[in-house]
Amino acid sequence: MSFFKDSVFSDENASKNGFLQSLDPRIKTITFLLFLVQILLTRNIFILLCLYAVSVLLACFSKIRLGFFLKRTWVFIPLFSLFIAIPAIFSIFTPGEPLTTVKIAGLTLIITRPGLSGAALFIARVVTSVSFVVLLNITTKHFELLKVLRIFKIPQIFVMTLGMCYRYIFLFIGIIENTHLAVKSRVGIKIRPKKGQRIVASNITSLWQRSYQLNEDVYQAMLSRGYNGEPLVLNNFKAGWQDWLWLLCALTIFITIR
Amino acid sequence: MHIPDGYLGPTTCGFFYAVMLPIWAVASKIVKKTLKAKQVPMLAIGAAFSFVIMMFNVPIIGGSTGHAVGGVLVAILLGPWAACIAITVALVIQALLFGDGGITAFGANCFNLAFILPFVGYYIYQALTYRAPAISNRRVLAAGIAGYVGINIAALFTGVEFGLQPLLHHTAAGQALYCPYGLNVSVPAMAGEHLLIFGWVEAIVTALVIKFLQKQDTNGFPPKTCGNDTVGLNAETTNGRSL
Repeated sequence: MSFFKDSVFSDENASKNGFLQSLDPRIKTITFLLFLVQILLTRNIFILLCLYAVSVLLACFSKIRLGFFLKRTWVFIPLFSLFIAIPAIFSIFTPGEPLTTVKIAGLTLIITRPGLSGAALFIARVVTSVSFVVLLNITTKHFELLKVLRIFKIPQIFVMTLGMCYRYIFLFIGIIENTHLAVKSRVGIKIRPKKGQRIVASNITSLWQRSYQLNEDVYQAMLSRGYNGEPLVLNNFKAGWQDWLWLLCALTIFITIR
Repeated sequence: MHIPDGYLGPTTCGFFYAVMLPIWAVASKIVKKTLKAKQVPMLAIGAAFSFVIMMFNVPIIGGSTGHAVGGVLVAILLGPWAACIAITVALVIQALLFGDGGITAFGANCFNLAFILPFVGYYIYQALTYRAPAISNRRVLAAGIAGYVGINIAALFTGVEFGLQPLLHHTAAGQALYCPYGLNVSVPAMAGEHLLIFGWVEAIVTALVIKFLQKQDTNGFPPKTCGNDTVGLNAETTNGRSL
């Protein structure tokens, strides 16, 4: 839970005085989407590796600790993808030109060229995509990132729900943490799966009931601040020359690689 | 079941964005039309609730744990269209802030988790609880079945989406460009783990939460939340109470 809170809700890196942090969140999001589309479209592993190098360089210019960045990007999704891509290098799953053979537990397995290059391309694509998404996430304040979605003309109901939902998640995580601590302090030992399932379901039910009660309070708070059915969102984004220059650079990379 | 970036090719990603756009538009229109101003926070609460459900690890036999998605539960509590919006919002937050689920694969993730899962589960639940009293074991059983079937159908769609990638995108030498496994591997893999493990987690959580809600109906739940005049758009009312 603490890892989750630290990694998701910390704006520490977004507050640093680095290159990506200085950009207008709207321009930054658009350029990162261009990079993601580029990563999706390319069939060349060399281009993917170059884009991965760009993401690492951007992290360095943005004063993100390299160890932290690599840990955030490689742990879980790329490692999981690496794990599931390994069988694909063998002829059982990807037939083709044999490269070499390996013996595992008495079984002779053939590694094929299309299998190996396909798996390498897959991993490179996944890790590069994840790196750009993580970079966008850690260098942008979260409430700004959610506000940026308005430029894509997303219906108001989604944008408003998104902003409110983000705040509720904080509250709910606090409630869950306290409940978990209370259960742990009372039970203290390992419990049987059936009992554990009942505790989880009871916690979810209790969370729903608290949320339901909260609805009325939140609505009253909204009314007292002048809510009349149409949400009003402040727009304080400002794009400077460096933002347009960065957009031009990203567009040039996009067009050149294509 | 969240598909990361890089697993699906551009055609599949574009196709699912195109499929989801009208669904989001209809969901937004229906919910805006039927949602009273007073229930606006409920939608955000539903989204946060569906986000948080995924953080509960449920103990399963053998000492292992798994987590539920809660899509069917949210659909039963809010109605399928409101659940579609709530789960979409939860998926946006997961993709942007947690990196769980890709941005290019966002349309496909929403199709599986915010459309297929709540709609299949919700209508199965409605069919199985036809004319059932609010406090009846049939509703608990129906919620479990709806959760199990809903998550398995969503997993089947995910498996098919993965399995189509080598067919849709490959080089002349047969090298896969995206997910490297065909339908013969991806469908059994996705279906197997959900039929054997995660489907049961979803079923247990959905059924037990409905059972607890039936027992602890302290704040008038479920009628006010799920009635036809509120967030839950199609919930059936029985004896002045609906579920």
